[in-house]
Amino acid sequence: MTLPDHEIIEECRDVCRATVGVYVLTSCYGCQLVMATVEKIMEVANLVDFKCFYMVSSKSSLHEPVDIAFVEGSVSTEKDLEELKEVRKNAKVVVAIGACAVNGGVQSWSEGDLNYDELYASVYGDSKIKYKGLQAAPIDSYVKVDYFLPGCPPEEDEIMYFLSTFLFGSYPEEIDYPVCAECRLEGNPCILIERDAPCLGPVTVAGCKARCPSFNVPCIGCRGPVPHDNSWFDSLALTFKNKGYSKDYIRERMKIFCSFDKNLEERLEKVFGRKK
Amino acid sequence: MRYVKLPKEKVCEFLERLKSMGTLYGPKKISEKFYDFREIGDVKEVEFEYNRTITPPRKFFFPERETVFTFDTANVEIHETLPTGNRIIIFGVHACDIVGLRIMDSRFIDDLPDPYYQIRRENGIIIGLSCLPDEYCFCSVRRTDFVDAGFDLFLHLLPDGYLVRVGTVTGHKLIENSPEYFEEISSEDKDNFAKFETKRRSMFTVQGNWDDMRYRLELHLDHPMYMRESDKCLGCGNCTLTCPTCRCYEVKDLPTLDGAGGERVRFWDSCQFRSHGLVAGGHNFRPTKKDRFLNRYQCKNAYCETTTTAYCVGCGRCTYFCPADIQFKENLLEVYGPGGGA
Ligand code: SF4
Ligand code: SF4
Ligand code: SF4
Ligand code: SF4
Ligand code: SF4
Repeated sequence: MTLPDHEIIEECRDVCRATVGVYVLTSCYGCQLVMATVEKIMEVANLVDFKCFYMVSSKSSLHEPVDIAFVEGSVSTEKDLEELKEVRKNAKVVVAIGACAVNGGVQSWSEGDLNYDELYASVYGDSKIKYKGLQAAPIDSYVKVDYFLPGCPPEEDEIMYFLSTFLFGSYPEEIDYPVCAECRLEGNPCILIERDAPCLGPVTVAGCKARCPSFNVPCIGCRGPVPHDNSWFDSLALTFKNKGYSKDYIRERMKIFCSFDKNLEERLEKVFGRKK
Repeated sequence: MRYVKLPKEKVCEFLERLKSMGTLYGPKKISEKFYDFREIGDVKEVEFEYNRTITPPRKFFFPERETVFTFDTANVEIHETLPTGNRIIIFGVHACDIVGLRIMDSRFIDDLPDPYYQIRRENGIIIGLSCLPDEYCFCSVRRTDFVDAGFDLFLHLLPDGYLVRVGTVTGHKLIENSPEYFEEISSEDKDNFAKFETKRRSMFTVQGNWDDMRYRLELHLDHPMYMRESDKCLGCGNCTLTCPTCRCYEVKDLPTLDGAGGERVRFWDSCQFRSHGLVAGGHNFRPTKKDRFLNRYQCKNAYCETTTTAYCVGCGRCTYFCPADIQFKENLLEVYGPGGGA
């Protein structure tokens, strides 16, 4: 593990209270909802000073300095971008939370296929909207992000783990292995092997304890790609291809939550040849 | 060694007896194609003719996840959370998996005793069960197809029951204390036992032994197989997590919110993951997928002094449970070259 290159949050105990902001860009507010409803929310509220948390308080401000900023949502408008920059400026540590902030979310599905103007025209025609829109993108396309807490929505135990380690004067360890690992630890059968299910577990970063395969449902990749280029779309595409899945099906499925992974197209091309 | 017979009609009663002694685990069907060791509620659920379980029996002694201690930062204390030492009985363990457990012992007891493992292991009863190989099995060439240690009782299938080999004092007492289930063996039973073994031996797709496999591999670390096959690999870790002799684990500290304490957990790790080779300062001694792929092939073919076998016991799980369908046995044979026994 390499040391973080941000200021460590001082361990407070009863002498001070860490300041925390929970911000939202373009998203469904699902991450905030999970954060606001964690079992220990009262304990959290006593231990930290929330400067911003729309789901919990109308007295939320974007402009106050905070120790830890959790940012939900993708950057999809110029307003999002301005706010994100403001948050980054005011925060010691920025955590991207949820599929949208971490990987762009489902709204970035068209990345690489359609540009913003085409998308806009197909939805709004000539009408005008208040803010100028942008192609939906993960927040690290624009600002430095210290930690990533993926999931759609994120898992409660991970939220608590992140908070606890920060308050402890430490930092959360990154997960760099796929959902399959947790699928085995949960004692599931493998539905990809057993019934050729198009499970994205092998390319998706773990942390959900293989939530979907545990219910006999193939993983759709909501936690996004395994980091550090270890999401082997090529190997999985080949596996699916050998099971009879088409290139389009595989690509579309992988793009839902991984459209911003820089290796996706190249690794797919390795299996299917250049895209037209 | 002592031999007795467990007639077919007494099997369920015997399982009930085992169940009354502690928590009984055995092979169960968990889905259309797969089996796993699970707690046995109804003894009729035990699958006697299973091929292999998706999780290896090491999980009973070295669980997938466990808290090793809790810590208290105010008093600067740690409190070990040692297992309780409840009796567990694992029924239906195949020969390869029994050697697998002895390999685990060599690392978790002989080397530097791991109390968590040791306490559970000392409270475990192992009942072996004979099997017939499928195309994934190669315990024959690993010399792990027939065990002479590591079990309390071993049941060999006969047309009308089981020939039971008694492996330990515990096994002996099990029989002494429940004589109503057992009979003396007849000469017909002995013939049937021999017939079963002969048939079984002829069914393996590889014959001979692979004692020199390690050297063949070490001499050909640059074999093109590694590049070709690791390219197909998903890095998913299924091959190591299902392996009966993989010992790698990761530890993580989970502090409580108020910082007053927390717990240290350990959980199964895999050399197929990037962080397995990541050390202080950010250096990674296995930076590529190929490095990780090659590591498993070397690790599994290294020599375990305790069992005088390879660390791989030939159970076939790493191929059977590989989503990318990567063939371990065939790949090893390719590097070995002609004469590998296929
Ligand atoms: S079911 Fe999916 S997540 Fe589970 S092991 Fe198989 S491929 Fe991996
Ligand atoms: S299994 Fe896949 S889709 Fe389901 S919660 Fe986990 S990452 Fe998301
Ligand atoms: S290094 Fe890899 S193959 Fe060896 S025991 Fe660990 S996980 Fe298993
Ligand atoms: S390496 Fe494969 S065949 Fe050998 S013991 Fe492990 S899982 Fe079984
Ligand atoms: S199970 Fe197969 S795909 Fe997964 S890491 Fe092992 S060899 Fe690679």
